[in-house]
Amino acid sequence: MDDEQELIRRLRKGDSTALEAVIKLHHAFLVAMAMPLVGPDSADDVAQETWLKAFAAINKFEGRAKLRTWLARIAINEAHAMRRKRGREIALDGWGIDSGSPISSRFSEQGALDAPPSQWHHDTPEELLTEAELHECIRKHLHKLPGDQQSVVMMRELGGLDYDEIAQALGLVEGNIRVLLHRGRQRMHAMLNHFEEVGTC
Amino acid sequence: MLTCREMSELGSAIIEGDLRLSTRWAVFMHLRMCSRCTIYIKQLKLTSEVLQKLPLTDENVDTQAILKKLNNREQ
Repeated sequence: MDDEQELIRRLRKGDSTALEAVIKLHHAFLVAMAMPLVGPDSADDVAQETWLKAFAAINKFEGRAKLRTWLARIAINEAHAMRRKRGREIALDGWGIDSGSPISSRFSEQGALDAPPSQWHHDTPEELLTEAELHECIRKHLHKLPGDQQSVVMMRELGGLDYDEIAQALGLVEGNIRVLLHRGRQRMHAMLNHFEEVGTC
Repeated sequence: MLTCREMSELGSAIIEGDLRLSTRWAVFMHLRMCSRCTIYIKQLKLTSEVLQKLPLTDENVDTQAILKKLNNREQ
């Protein structure tokens, strides 16, 4: 996080290369997170508004949360403001319904795992993330998750938001959020497992 | 006794330490004798950590266009 502290220090000074760097780091995340809340046409506008608010308030950022979390909170507020202004809600029809376990076929009738999981070649997130091809693969599969799971994984894992904030943002109860997160993690685990077994996406 | 299926359903609660004491005990007992679930839960935790640390850097984003719009708005 030292890099982040340094980046924030430069942002406060209005350093233009720091502004560019932080946009490159987080713009795609903000757009992806806003997408289900306001639709694809307005997601970029939400990200723009987020930058405007964030750069104006960077001196108030206390550094207790990660920068990505702070930006995510601003973006969710902006998305809600935009929805209110337009007087319409994006219907999140069918969101929060449990799609069931993606690994249900791996259990015997008695509920035992029928085969040992494969051993992975990597033991830490840092080791896994050194594989450039894996980055691409994770991004691709994140976008393939059902919309509700994708949103919750983005907000919780990447964004670091709390369950109650996510529940409020999506109009669901915390119990739903926990189930969606678990299903999203299970699917992403299956993707990583495939990568570890086969070596390609 | 918890089954492996039940363990997999509890996976996220397990890695977040978000369990009642009685369930925590049952999970502990299961993990002691089941290497398959031990691996699965460990990998699920690693999956979560990878997502938390995943950069979504986009070198192709047009930062100049964004900064220009922001400048125009501020004026």
